Amino acid sequence: MKKFIGLTAVVTAIAMTSPVYSSGFLDEYANQAQQENASFNGFSVERGKALYLTKHATGKAETPACTSCHTNSPTQSGNTRAGKTIAPLAVSASPDRYTDKRKVEKWFRRNCNSVLGRACSATEKGDFITFMLTQ
Amino acid sequence: MTDTHGTSQNIKPPVIWDLPLRLFHWSMVAVVITAAITGYFFEEWWLDVHVYAGYALTCLLMFRLIWGFVGSFYSRFHTFPLSPIAVLNHLKDLLKGKSETHTGHNPVGAWMIVVLLTTLILLVVTGFVVWGGQENNGPLASVVGYQVGEGGEDIHEVLAGILMAAIGIHVLGVLIETVIFKHPLIKAMITGRKEGVPPTGKIVSVWHSLAGVLILIGVGAAFSYWITSTAQTPLAMSSNTTYQQECGDCHPAYHPSLRTQHDWQEIMSNLSDHYGEDASLDDSSHREITTYLNTQDAFSFDTEVAHKIGRYDTSSLRMTDTRYWQKKHDELDDDEFNHPSIGSKVNCNACHKDADSGRFDDDQIKLPKGIHL
Repeated sequence: MKKFIGLTAVVTAIAMTSPVYSSGFLDEYANQAQQENASFNGFSVERGKALYLTKHATGKAETPACTSCHTNSPTQSGNTRAGKTIAPLAVSASPDRYTDKRKVEKWFRRNCNSVLGRACSATEKGDFITFMLTQ
Repeated sequence: MTDTHGTSQNIKPPVIWDLPLRLFHWSMVAVVITAAITGYFFEEWWLDVHVYAGYALTCLLMFRLIWGFVGSFYSRFHTFPLSPIAVLNHLKDLLKGKSETHTGHNPVGAWMIVVLLTTLILLVVTGFVVWGGQENNGPLASVVGYQVGEGGEDIHEVLAGILMAAIGIHVLGVLIETVIFKHPLIKAMITGRKEGVPPTGKIVSVWHSLAGVLILIGVGAAFSYWITSTAQTPLAMSSNTTYQQECGDCHPAYHPSLRTQHDWQEIMSNLSDHYGEDASLDDSSHREITTYLNTQDAFSFDTEVAHKIGRYDTSSLRMTDTRYWQKKHDELDDDEFNHPSIGSKVNCNACHKDADSGRFDDDQIKLPKGIHL
């Protein structure tokens, strides 16, 4: 019974938070993704997770993966290479994540270049945020 | 009530050194030992203790100078047998293997006191100059510049050497007097009474003790008023929120005094490859931060860290590649810098609690738990 209530709470929480985000710039990313790729049909948690965990090593040597600084668990705090704490990426742990478009774009611009050695596509950005919304 | 000798009592020798003088003497011993140990061996880590010893020393010396005019007879400077003839005669006697009993100081001893007091006064003065100029602290912080403070440190060190030599001679002289010539000088400085001395007729009373305490309290109050009324001046740095936010996300927003204008320019013009990461900025932030760092750099600040680290260009642009930085951190190895409580070499704030202000005071260094030297 307890488990059931817990599960219901989580599902409700996700159901209540997701629309707030999807109505924001996640929609913009979806529009962009559509333009970039005609066969685009929605963001994927799985793809976002893979993007997050994969050791790409196509960018700068110091930062082969997102996890280099953000750790393997998005609900944990990360550390910059200089030693500063980074708030968790998961929305459940940092509720104010992905609300400021300027900030989100800044970090995608910087970190996609650092980790992947190129800019991220709108699909990748949307997948990434969608994954973080579920964490 | 009175602490004096009676003319009819020949059992007890007369009191030569009044109580305040004796307390002054032994307090000096304790304070000078503290200052010497902290100054010679723990200059960086115990600088605050060294400075407090210096503050105490200042009060004691001011007391002694006043006491030289208002104390009991043998404490007064005008009773010191300082004439060259007396010194010469005393030295001649010593060479012949004898030393006459003197009621107060003997002539050589009196000159020793003059040398010791003069050296100590100069030490305290130069100490304030170093504390104010080099460390930007204490009552002279706003008056003395960094370079003067650095020069003051050289003089302070020479004086400390002279003091150590003078103390050595002083102790040796007292031991010779005590052991060879059987004048119990050490005992006299404890009890105040000097054996083998005829009645002096000079009264040393409880009023002297009272006056001594009052003078010391007065001196202490005046001194602490001076110290607090000249509290340290904050370093002028107009804060820039864009700089704090944009640069402070990944590493501490370093105080502008840590690099030269040239190095700041270089860093700002290569942000897309900033020590292995893309740290690029949007145009307006970039312009704002560049202007900010152009208007204040290491040459706009008169601090130790600006002079010793900030003003040196390095090819890597890193402050951690300056000789001074490396010398100052040579006791820490990579393991310690990578320790979770520090994170990296460039996380100054992990240990320097005042890094944001650009002061980097020695007494603001607090090693986090798990870090030992």
